[in-house]
Amino acid sequence: MSKHKIVLAEDNSTLSLLLKFRLEREGYQLFLAEDGNQAIDLIQDEKPDLVLTDVMMPYKSGLEVISHIRNKLEKETPVIVFSSAGQEEMVLKAFSLGANDFMGKPFSPNELVIRVNRLLN
Amino acid sequence: MVAVFSRFYSPEEFPFLIYLTWVTSFVLFVSFVVLSTYLIKLRKALRRKEKERKDCKLSYEPFIIEYLYSSEDPKVLTERQHEIIETLKPKIQSASQRKVIISILYNLMNEVSGEMAESIKLFYYKTGLIEYGVAKLQNKNWYVIAKGIGELTRFNIKEVHQQVEPFVNHERKEVRSEAHMYMVNLFHFEGLTFLDNLDVPLSEWNQIQLLEVLQKIDNQSICDIKPWLNSKNDTVVIFALKLAEIYNQYEVNTTLLGLLNHPNKNIRIAVIDALTHLYGIEAVEKLKANFNNLSVEEQISFFQMLEKLVMPTDEPFVEAHLFHKNFDIQLLALKILKSINIDKYFEFSGLPAHKKSQAMLKLTPTN
Repeated sequence: MSKHKIVLAEDNSTLSLLLKFRLEREGYQLFLAEDGNQAIDLIQDEKPDLVLTDVMMPYKSGLEVISHIRNKLEKETPVIVFSSAGQEEMVLKAFSLGANDFMGKPFSPNELVIRVNRLLN
Repeated sequence: MVAVFSRFYSPEEFPFLIYLTWVTSFVLFVSFVVLSTYLIKLRKALRRKEKERKDCKLSYEPFIIEYLYSSEDPKVLTERQHEIIETLKPKIQSASQRKVIISILYNLMNEVSGEMAESIKLFYYKTGLIEYGVAKLQNKNWYVIAKGIGELTRFNIKEVHQQVEPFVNHERKEVRSEAHMYMVNLFHFEGLTFLDNLDVPLSEWNQIQLLEVLQKIDNQSICDIKPWLNSKNDTVVIFALKLAEIYNQYEVNTTLLGLLNHPNKNIRIAVIDALTHLYGIEAVEKLKANFNNLSVEEQISFFQMLEKLVMPTDEPFVEAHLFHKNFDIQLLALKILKSINIDKYFEFSGLPAHKKSQAMLKLTPTN
């Protein structure tokens, strides 16, 4: 059986690496994007089963990434959004654009794995 | 060049102004060449340094990630984790590499929580980074001290609180602020004991930051705030009043009544506001009796209190101030009168019945 593909859009390289390591251990195939543009390219090329995206990113924000998936690509790919404290309004916007779940930073990687498993399995 | 120029063209042949222009041009040209060379070298050095930093980061990140995933229990180190610590220990002795490792850990601490955060803290101890963090407290530069305290806060290092505590009264507000944040972030309400010995002002921004940290704490059982209400430091009293309001400290109402005679006007106003929030009905009679000796700001605050705590017996007092010289008080008096005796309010409005409701809306908007 082929592995589920996940695109992770996060500008903090250490956090990306940390989550990649953790999710790969769970059997997922990870594609890392450092900014919104890279995330959109990866989503179009790799057609992932799930997208994990930070709200604040260079070039294009997480909100623009969600909007691209839902409105331009017209896909129902599950999206989990990461947000920092004080970005509650952004989270609401993310949900109205079609995000499926959100996690406030700092978050536990173990909790993220549970949420990913729930959405994919 | 000046010498060569002087050999062929003696100053006597040229007016002095032209000679001066040549010399100035030469000096400017030399300065331009020297500065350009310096800037090019500086840019190269900065780029090289940035590249080194990025390379360092790329080489250390996998080690740290591997360390974090090498054990199921964050409090017990595996053999691989010991190996990673021993590999990184010598690197930490270099200030630039230490800075890179600290920035990686710092970033992670901002993003992850739970067991992972515990593992990062243990890594900070075991690699000896904690010793460098504590050493920053002894530095003569205030910004290094502030950074050191910030680092110890971020990595949750409680053991050094005795070394951090003296900085709560530091002459630089940046250091003081970091020390206050350390105390509250790590010891929550108990950390507020630094207010007992605070001799310097607690800035408004600092107060907001402390309240924000306190509101995120799970255990919201606050300690006794009475000693701070009686503090000689006025900013501490103001902060304690904010705590009384936010955490509904009804048991301090008696202390607040005593503060109505505080020499600082801002504190008296804040006390009236706090008593309004805490339903300090006992304060109403006291303030009414002393109303004419209050400042206009205090009088406005008192009328705001009356708006919330008014009793039918207060009607004559309110009526007496319907034509107060201050418009805010006039408006508040009308609103209060409307709430306790609407017929009398209509008498004052003196308008035909069909226009009464509109007039009320204009003058006394409904909250």
